[in-house]
Amino acid sequence: MTRLRGAPEPKAVPLLHEFSYVAHRSLDELLSFLAHHGDETQVFSGGTDLFVNIRAGLAAPRYVADLKSVSDLHEIAFNEREGLSIGACATVNELIANDTVRDRYAVLRTAAEQLATFQLRNRATVVGNIVTASPCGDMTSPLLCLGTDVVLVSVRGERRVPLGEFITGVKTTQIATDEIVTRVIVGTGRIDAAGGYRKLKRIKGHDLGVVAVALIKSMPAVRVAISSAAPTPVLLPEFGADAPVAEIQASAQAAISPIDDVRCTAEYRRFMVDVYIRRLMEEVPA
Amino acid sequence: MRHITVTINGERYERDVAEHRTLLHFLRDDLGLTGTKEGCGAGECGACTIIMDGRAVNSCLVLAMEADGAALETIEGAAAGGELSVIQQAFHDHHAVQCGYCTPGMVMSATDLLRRNPNPSREEIIDGIEGNFCRCTGYQQIIEAIEAAAGATGTAAGKEADHA
Repeated sequence: MTRLRGAPEPKAVPLLHEFSYVAHRSLDELLSFLAHHGDETQVFSGGTDLFVNIRAGLAAPRYVADLKSVSDLHEIAFNEREGLSIGACATVNELIANDTVRDRYAVLRTAAEQLATFQLRNRATVVGNIVTASPCGDMTSPLLCLGTDVVLVSVRGERRVPLGEFITGVKTTQIATDEIVTRVIVGTGRIDAAGGYRKLKRIKGHDLGVVAVALIKSMPAVRVAISSAAPTPVLLPEFGADAPVAEIQASAQAAISPIDDVRCTAEYRRFMVDVYIRRLMEEVPA
Repeated sequence: MRHITVTINGERYERDVAEHRTLLHFLRDDLGLTGTKEGCGAGECGACTIIMDGRAVNSCLVLAMEADGAALETIEGAAAGGELSVIQQAFHDHHAVQCGYCTPGMVMSATDLLRRNPNPSREEIIDGIEGNFCRCTGYQQIIEAIEAAAGATGTAAGKEADHA
């Protein structure tokens, strides 16, 4: 196609900070690169947080390393022994389309459908949502309810960390500069649990969660996790099947520490946590 | 700089590109394909929506490097042979365009939607364009246009949309 008549001459407007793009074919190559350059490299797959951050001046890596070029990190696989393994490059839409997720880990799908927009979900990954470690991450609360481990790999070896320990604060995790998350593993302990995810937004369309609650009934236990109400998503202690709603609400209020910000007041966040716990207890079948 | 090869609307392009360049700026500034718009630059407004290897994406959050070897569809390919696509014609007929800035992204999202789901319900249409902001029309006419485009071709909408 030719340039449209009158179209301006191309000019190099550097809207992104300059970096080098690296795409390793094998995991070993990538890990050895990170062993040397990890502190000046941002690893990415979907890029839906990284490129926003770079553009906003919040990140200025010398290298960006594309995980998608490494084969075998894309898979969503299930077996009865280990559970559900979600590879680092599996997108949120791939999770939504997965039959096992739909049939056996339903709360994951319910929450995933509320994450951003269709186009974003075609790029954004489940693992990226966790590694970004935003207090409002839509995948974290349901994964906490279900019981999830994060698998980290570096040239030093592999380690497996429970998700609740992996996220250490607002946008901070246990990940070292030479490490990558290769996958997360959702255990089999709460498979087939009925669940729900309620997310408060400022508008009917897509938005970051102002506050969100994930709840599963994995009989004889009820598990609840809350997003956007503390520095990290919070998993409450497990409740018995017959726990009164008021007991769960009281436990939630003691566990969260919401703030006033541009999107909502702390008071309203606390109020809506109670509302969502009550609604989810009513609407999620036992 | 690195050399990449991209197929856009069936045409092959080879260029040297800076490694930090977004796909959106590559399309607009390097290739002069200015139909794809930049709105927010942060993956929220959908004005930059294109179809990359069969998937709708926000081109503002993709690097040109990532498109090396990919097949892209942009709004410039919609009116094949100078004829409006079914979706474009429906946007025209239903006054689904005011300022027009969101329209290329809307048309690409609608194209993708009708391929995945040739007969969407109204609710599915609304979900299908959830990632595209329009600040003029109030969405009503856009939804009606997509309904009409699906209806105009019936079950063949998906096939028609392939030409869109």
